[in-house]
Amino acid sequence: MINGTDRILVCCGTSCIANGALDVADAIEKELEARNLTGDVRVDVVRTGCSGECEQGPVVRFMPRDLMYYRVAARDAKAIVDSLDGAPVKKLLHRRDGQFFEHMDDNPFYALQHKVVLKDVGIIDPLSLDDYIARGGYEGLKRALAMTPDEIISEVEKSGLRGKGGAGFPTGRKWRSAAGYDEWPKYIVCNGDEGDPGAFMDGSTMEGCPHAVIEGMIIGALAIGAEEGVLYIRDEYALARDHIQHAIDDAYEAGILGDSIMGTPHKLHLSIVRGGGAFVCGESTALMASIAGKVGEPRAKYIRSVQRGLFDKPTVLNNVETLASIPTILRFGGDEYAKLGTEKSKGTKVFAMVGKVKHTGLVEVPMGTTLRTLIYDIGGGIMNDRPFKAIQTGGPSGGCIPESLLDLPVDFDTLTEYGAMMGSGGMIVMDDRSCMVEVARYYVDFLCEESCGKCTPCREGLRQMRAILTDICEGRGRAGDIELLERICHTMQDVSLCALGRTAPNPVLTTIKFFRDEYEAHIDRKECPAGVCPDLTRFTIDAEACTGCGMCSRVCPANAISGEVKAAHVIDPDKCIACGSCRDACRFDAVETMRRMPA
Amino acid sequence: MSDTLTITIDGRPCACEPGEYLYDVAERNGIHIPALCRSDAFEDHRACCRVCIVEVEERGRRKVVTSCVYPVERECTVYTNSEKIVEERAVTLALLAKRAPDSETIVSMAQEAGELDGFDRLITLDGEKCILCGLCVQACDSLGTGAISTVNRGVDKKVSTPYDKPSADCIGCLSCANVCPTGAIEYTQDATSRTIWSRTFELAFCERCGNLMGTREAVHRAAEKAGVEEPRVCDACRKKELADEMMQTYRYV
Repeated sequence: MINGTDRILVCCGTSCIANGALDVADAIEKELEARNLTGDVRVDVVRTGCSGECEQGPVVRFMPRDLMYYRVAARDAKAIVDSLDGAPVKKLLHRRDGQFFEHMDDNPFYALQHKVVLKDVGIIDPLSLDDYIARGGYEGLKRALAMTPDEIISEVEKSGLRGKGGAGFPTGRKWRSAAGYDEWPKYIVCNGDEGDPGAFMDGSTMEGCPHAVIEGMIIGALAIGAEEGVLYIRDEYALARDHIQHAIDDAYEAGILGDSIMGTPHKLHLSIVRGGGAFVCGESTALMASIAGKVGEPRAKYIRSVQRGLFDKPTVLNNVETLASIPTILRFGGDEYAKLGTEKSKGTKVFAMVGKVKHTGLVEVPMGTTLRTLIYDIGGGIMNDRPFKAIQTGGPSGGCIPESLLDLPVDFDTLTEYGAMMGSGGMIVMDDRSCMVEVARYYVDFLCEESCGKCTPCREGLRQMRAILTDICEGRGRAGDIELLERICHTMQDVSLCALGRTAPNPVLTTIKFFRDEYEAHIDRKECPAGVCPDLTRFTIDAEACTGCGMCSRVCPANAISGEVKAAHVIDPDKCIACGSCRDACRFDAVETMRRMPA
Repeated sequence: MSDTLTITIDGRPCACEPGEYLYDVAERNGIHIPALCRSDAFEDHRACCRVCIVEVEERGRRKVVTSCVYPVERECTVYTNSEKIVEERAVTLALLAKRAPDSETIVSMAQEAGELDGFDRLITLDGEKCILCGLCVQACDSLGTGAISTVNRGVDKKVSTPYDKPSADCIGCLSCANVCPTGAIEYTQDATSRTIWSRTFELAFCERCGNLMGTREAVHRAAEKAGVEEPRVCDACRKKELADEMMQTYRYV
């Protein structure tokens, strides 16, 4: 029965919008209008933030019935509205291993998650303050306003919350030291300059529930005594910036921000600074330099930002996800939050899981969840059931973790012991068709462009490592290259000025540590075992396995493949550019790779 | 009154004030730490070259720090030539030598720090002398000229004028070239003009003795900043003129 309480949630996160979610929402609204469901007896369409399973988007969900549809197109609007009080549209349901799932929580992708930061993302209208308040928003702030700064900080300390931007510094301890400095003004800054390749946790949080970040900042400001705050948001995150600005405006209007927070004498003014477009500006000191209008370069950090940060004043810099965890901690108490997670890493962590995994998207799990659970139970395993090879965590600062370590709990400390790091939450899953040397080269190349170039080891070390890794990938690797790479890496780790340079060797060191044989194959035998490096790889078609379907020749960008329909195809080695498109397209595993050069 | 601390550098006890930079304490005690981007003139601009690294042992933990910006806060033991420092300084200098192979200063420093043989494999930037220490930019900024800056980032970083075009702000004063530790900033000069950063400046000479006073722009800027009339004579001659005037005034007293 449609009785006026129904809401249709249309995911309008960046990814779903790119797949036409706004058209879907419009089409559903039009359909509702046509059926007079917009008056007293109404069904509201809510354009929400990211619901998580981006790869299956646009996602549409009915509440309170909790019916979830995936890969929806505008033309499905009629069927969807039909199903409001009828049978679900089967073709739009989630399907895994031949089974259909009607409800969100039945879907294994969601069932194993535990949402704290993302609890309202994908459910509320990010542009509606009322929606946020209806879900308990600003309850944490109300509690904080009745507490002393010391009590607020104690609550955060009790929660065990650690900085989720990757470094894992205890948030309570950071706040306490900033509160201890008797120098004014103080600042609270939100780091929304998420830049790791493949990461979209913070962007989705800001887009989907901007008020949670703002509430976290207000509570932080009360704790340290700041009356001014800045949100430094990555320039590319236009939607996140719009939503945060909208939320700031609403909060001012509602008396939540401004010269009197909720009628108390406390003040806080927030503004947005657009990121400078450089990856390094996510580094704390570079970020503050950028806000101050200087070149975004880090400074030596022997005097910490809590003492001398933005404009040389005591400053607390927290990441988006850290701040968005604060309202829950204040609302339900630090002890409650500390029940989640492991002994040293409390609470939850949001991950952006991408790559060769069946179900990609935004997931939030308790700290300590194993990589295997993330990849196989939540992500559904490797695409096309190919063998797993490695998972890259923590972006350019992180490392590649092999199969043998998949049962490690993911938290701040465990992965670091193995030379990788959990980082801010980017995860790229790779199958056996990924070349680990090429992966290392990719990250080094990324950092060659994104290092600020201020200090010698980072700038020059990256330049030399890129040259050596490129040589290895192109068949010019020499004996001793691995050792030389390690030597440069170790110096970079100790001597670089900021965390970017000190962690930049991680992709190289972890791939050497766990996939040394692959480096040796490239250097000694001029062979790329994964069949990726074009200079080392030749593609051929196994005439017996080939069914002559012609898929390979259709995808070949170089027109190098010929053959009659239903007859074995052939690759012309002179035309082939070894891009591997044919191998990815072939459903019969008929495309084989061979060594190109003589050993 | 702050308490004086005693720290140990390479086995030698050294007294210092809390907050003093480790590099300064070492130098004062006659312990030399190599450094390239450090200048007493620019305290805010340091820690780029990473050559002045040392190892500090504090509360039982050892860490590598850049001595030019590391403030001494508590008792510690410092090693300026531990095995780790020798290795990492050698790698850092080798990286610089490959970047600036035309700088004799850098290449000989690198050779002194360790054999360069192990680094044959590395690529060199032929013809380059600049190590991107940024001192030139600091000097230009401090003068209020701001004609040059570092441009681009990462491996493409360089020092240049805006858009590599001759800068209208440059006064051809040579401060950048003079402060450069590797002589990387080139300029040419003949009897009447000087060319630097692709711009040619007319030179100004003392009307009395004929000595070079600088470029017209530099003389003009200096007078403008001091709020005085543009001088026609050099400093030495101005003093001489003053002395002559005094002599005239007081000769019959």
